[in-house]
Amino acid sequence: MTQATTRLRSRTQARSLTAGLVGAAPSLVVATVMLVIVALVVVVVPFLPGSDPYSQDLASAQRAPFTSGSHLLGTDALGRDLLSRLSLATRTSLVVAFGAVLISMVLGLAIGLVAGWRRGRLDAFLMGVADVQLSIPVVLLLIVLVAALGSSTTLLVVMLGLTNWVGYGRVARSIAVSLREREFVTAVTAAGGSGWWVVSRHLLPNVLPQIAILAAFEVGTVITIESSLSFIGLGIQPPTPSLGGLIADGQNYLQTNPALVVLPALMILMVIGGVQFVSQGLSTRRSRR
Amino acid sequence: MVRFTVSRLARIVVTVLAVLTFAFVLARLTGDPVRLMLPDQATQADVDAARHSLGLDRPLLVQYLDFMGGAFRGDLGDSIRQGQSALGLVVERLPNTVELALTSFVIGFALAVVLAVVAETSGSRRLRSTLMWLATARQAIPPYLFGILLVLVFSVSLGLLPAIGRTSYASFVLPVATMATFEVALYLRLISASFDESRSLDYVRTARAKGVSRGRIVVRHMLPNALLPVITIAGINLGVLMGGTVVLEMVFNWPGLGRLIVQGVTDRDYPIVQAGVVLIAVLFVAVNFTVDMLYAVLDPRVRLS
Repeated sequence: MTQATTRLRSRTQARSLTAGLVGAAPSLVVATVMLVIVALVVVVVPFLPGSDPYSQDLASAQRAPFTSGSHLLGTDALGRDLLSRLSLATRTSLVVAFGAVLISMVLGLAIGLVAGWRRGRLDAFLMGVADVQLSIPVVLLLIVLVAALGSSTTLLVVMLGLTNWVGYGRVARSIAVSLREREFVTAVTAAGGSGWWVVSRHLLPNVLPQIAILAAFEVGTVITIESSLSFIGLGIQPPTPSLGGLIADGQNYLQTNPALVVLPALMILMVIGGVQFVSQGLSTRRSRR
Repeated sequence: MVRFTVSRLARIVVTVLAVLTFAFVLARLTGDPVRLMLPDQATQADVDAARHSLGLDRPLLVQYLDFMGGAFRGDLGDSIRQGQSALGLVVERLPNTVELALTSFVIGFALAVVLAVVAETSGSRRLRSTLMWLATARQAIPPYLFGILLVLVFSVSLGLLPAIGRTSYASFVLPVATMATFEVALYLRLISASFDESRSLDYVRTARAKGVSRGRIVVRHMLPNALLPVITIAGINLGVLMGGTVVLEMVFNWPGLGRLIVQGVTDRDYPIVQAGVVLIAVLFVAVNFTVDMLYAVLDPRVRLS
């Protein structure tokens, strides 16, 4: 009886899931599939037996995918298991990207709201800083910062966060500027609400949805930047595997074992593509409403 | 117009000063450059002598003013490894990067205009959405990755084109194709988005009612309006283009500015990195100034506001 109900329930759930997927845009379906694969690689692989991204075994180096029983996707030049390296690299890239996006989001919100609320000289100064920062291409700015400060993973998260706040800052500022003239803000101020109260209780909730959409898009951008830096050797440092680093290593073996480049490349494409299509779907759904 | 020009020029000066100051402050954070230049067994006296000869023992403010003064005479210090003027070395490499970026931009932009016009004139919704999908997909691929995949297909598998270096015209094909497709995707999406907005506007309907052909409406009426905002984006996008090219040079072993800068980081040759970034920032600011002026000439609303 209980078994039958569970089966029935799971079947209706499955049906409503397929109906939802069919109704959604095909790109959203593709994106969801990509992200599910990525999630599986990141979450499940570390629990598989014999998956150690660091243990070297020169005797079984340079195995092609699907040719070795113990290494599903083969091994790299040092005989390290490619699947587990992919898993750890993807996890590292995602953690770095989410951390950086969080930092830029908070920073951009704070600066944008203050500038938009206070206006005047402070506003002009803060937006001037944004202009100056935009006059150096982000990748170059990060290269200089790495040259001066070095690159540990924590430092990388902070630097990526500090160099990408301008977009959030401008969006938050423009919404704050238009909202501060509205009646509800005047009413709150007239009732004795402090500036901090207005900004935190009234402006912030109105700005957040736009900022969240921007953040979803930015995850893909930040992963692109981080993997580019790691590719040229200035991002995440070995022995920690990163997707860009894996590709740089694999580039030396394009002739003999292209899987070393192709598989991390696929992983990057699935992460960035998945994030981009999902955030696009979300923002069109929101604008339709 | 004069007021507009002056205010933009003032902004340029402030930006360049800020970039130089930023470069100076960062240089002080790199630690002691003298320790890097001298061998490990150097005595404290050697270090002090070197510090004195480089002027690193003077007050910070004096060093700063000296640095700024030098910068305006085109002197950004000497490369630690090569002993020559850092700016000279950087300027020497610049053309190789600019030729790559500029060729990609011209080809990509032209192709985007042609594709957008063809798709709009054909009136085929399927063609439009296919192009849009391809553009989005291309934008999701980082330049260095696209470059490597091209090498894998056209050099390693098919053996058609050289994979690295800058030896013949054939070596331009893969790097330019990488950046040009990236540019096509960007501008195609921008122009198409503008077409989508103007398709149902009055002036288009009027032209159609007069019996103007579809192709003529798109080229003569819709395209000029669509290109106006694209000019601004093109200026801003230059940064992304340069950033992408810098990384791409590492894929194709291209003897450009990017490889010099990255080599500078690995060698701990900070003056090279500093000169490279200052040069690119100044170029970027100059191009955006030109774009702003162009925009003001083309659109009276900008200079009058």
